[in-house]
Amino acid sequence: MSEAHIYEQGYRSYDGPRLGVSASVRSLAIHSIRRGLGLRRTFWAKLLPIATVVIAYVPAIVFVGIAALIPDEITDEIDAIPSYADYFGNITAAILLFVAVVGPEVLCSDRRNGMLGMYLASPLTRETYLLAKVLAVVPVLLLVTLGPQLLLLVGRSLVDAGPETATDFVLVLVRSLAAGLVVSTVYTAISLAAASLTERRAFASAGVILALLLSGAVTSALVENADFDRRIYLLNLGFLPIELVQRIYGELGSEPSLTTASLVAAVAAWVLGSAALVLWRYRKLTVSR
Amino acid sequence: MTTIVRATGVVKRWGDTTALAGIDAEIGAGVTGLLGANGAGKTTLLGLILGLHRQDDGTLEVLGLDPTTAGPEVRARLGYAPEHDALPGDVRAHDLVRHMAEIHGLPSKEAVGRASDALWHVGLGEERFRPVGTMSTGQKQRVKLASAMAHDPALLLLDEPTNGLDPMQRDAMLTLIRRIGTEFGISVILSSHLLEEVERVCDSVLILSGGTVVSSGTLDELRGGGGAFIVEPDGRVDELAAALQRHGLEVEVLGTTRLSLNGDEIEITDAIRDACAELGIGLRRLQRRTATLEDVFLAGTGV
Repeated sequence: MSEAHIYEQGYRSYDGPRLGVSASVRSLAIHSIRRGLGLRRTFWAKLLPIATVVIAYVPAIVFVGIAALIPDEITDEIDAIPSYADYFGNITAAILLFVAVVGPEVLCSDRRNGMLGMYLASPLTRETYLLAKVLAVVPVLLLVTLGPQLLLLVGRSLVDAGPETATDFVLVLVRSLAAGLVVSTVYTAISLAAASLTERRAFASAGVILALLLSGAVTSALVENADFDRRIYLLNLGFLPIELVQRIYGELGSEPSLTTASLVAAVAAWVLGSAALVLWRYRKLTVSR
Repeated sequence: MTTIVRATGVVKRWGDTTALAGIDAEIGAGVTGLLGANGAGKTTLLGLILGLHRQDDGTLEVLGLDPTTAGPEVRARLGYAPEHDALPGDVRAHDLVRHMAEIHGLPSKEAVGRASDALWHVGLGEERFRPVGTMSTGQKQRVKLASAMAHDPALLLLDEPTNGLDPMQRDAMLTLIRRIGTEFGISVILSSHLLEEVERVCDSVLILSGGTVVSSGTLDELRGGGGAFIVEPDGRVDELAAALQRHGLEVEVLGTTRLSLNGDEIEITDAIRDACAELGIGLRRLQRRTATLEDVFLAGTGV
């Protein structure tokens, strides 16, 4: 019988393997990554993610270019190339924008358009659904929190301006990985927490940006004007992960009075607190009655 | 009959409202209509079958499993098309159906093929690469159906699948549901508040009202059970009625010319034959009054 008649043969039942929940999680994570990046969607959906990624990588490309063209002695003297840790300072805007866009896009849309109900009617549970969303947002954020550093590291090594020994290279690599993971994890938690509070993407995005900017402004004002203990900076969401990144690279950072342990504890508290909020919100959610 | 869903004393409350007040029901293979007015508890029951909520009391068994403890396993074999619009507008129909098939455990390659098949089956083969947002209400309903069946579920739950469809689209949708239940061999629970829909495509019915089962069984059973015999003799109606009552039958005189009898078919027909022979009365008409689902529904819900 020829393959061409397949539709006339009517319905084909499926007796093949059915993969478990981990396959469902993987499929949802991949689908969400695509959504977050605007892939397989309209031009306008792609625009912001792509622009942000470009903004994050341009400085790295420029710095590699400078390292290639200008002799080391001069670049060292005028401090033209930032350290790996300081690179985050150059792309704060890109990271902020990405964090504000990706989390809400990945989480809010499903609630707004009703897909959440379809997902929860599948082998996924509320918990495995959220796990898939985390597994989508973290790698997407790594695109701007790890990618540029890797480009910088590899690029500089190729033009002979990178770490001098293989050990140093590996050390920078490990530090970059750790730093990227820390920043991505913290911001994934924050953006998903904001996204769990509203089903409107725009509100969630504005919430993320406000939380990051306001926490900085308020804590600075309290320390500068009201003589608060500098530990209040642990509440500054724009500062906290970036400061921990400095410590990961073995540098003192901008607030040496804060111990690394307190930074780690604060980061853990923010991540766990946000996770608890998201879980609570989703357990409370009634999908269909 | 294989039992697909078995509910025993299932109670579900939402705050102070009791959505299901102790339901006992058995749903077998084939197409089953879940009939009831809005707020009768249909969607709540579907939600419990899917394991989305936990019942407050009673036990529920779906495909031999308990959805409250084996939710993912149960849901892997179920397909669900919710009542309301539940699709992202900017995703292509094929991408969506394929994604839902993968979510239900199909390997990627199978999911691609079966997504195409499912969209062809619902009549959207040519349109399968269009973004869902550009489709009509009728097409969206069919995309939902395709994404509920692409993974070849054992049981398909359709919540008001004809909502928002015009008469032509409704007709096509009902024909398709009938095909799914017969040709495709997938059991279907069709939730609807429309009697004629259920009457047209379902083998059996479960009628809910105010959170209780008022009637359940195959369509034939329900219709037959509610039926009565109409007898129209060529005169002497009262004499015949009295004679039949002597035979121990429940007789109701309708107007001046007809009688209505309830009870066992053979008993009734034998009694009529004997009574007519005794009295020498001729019969103009002896007819079974078939109940419509509406009669059953009205009798059951007491509206």
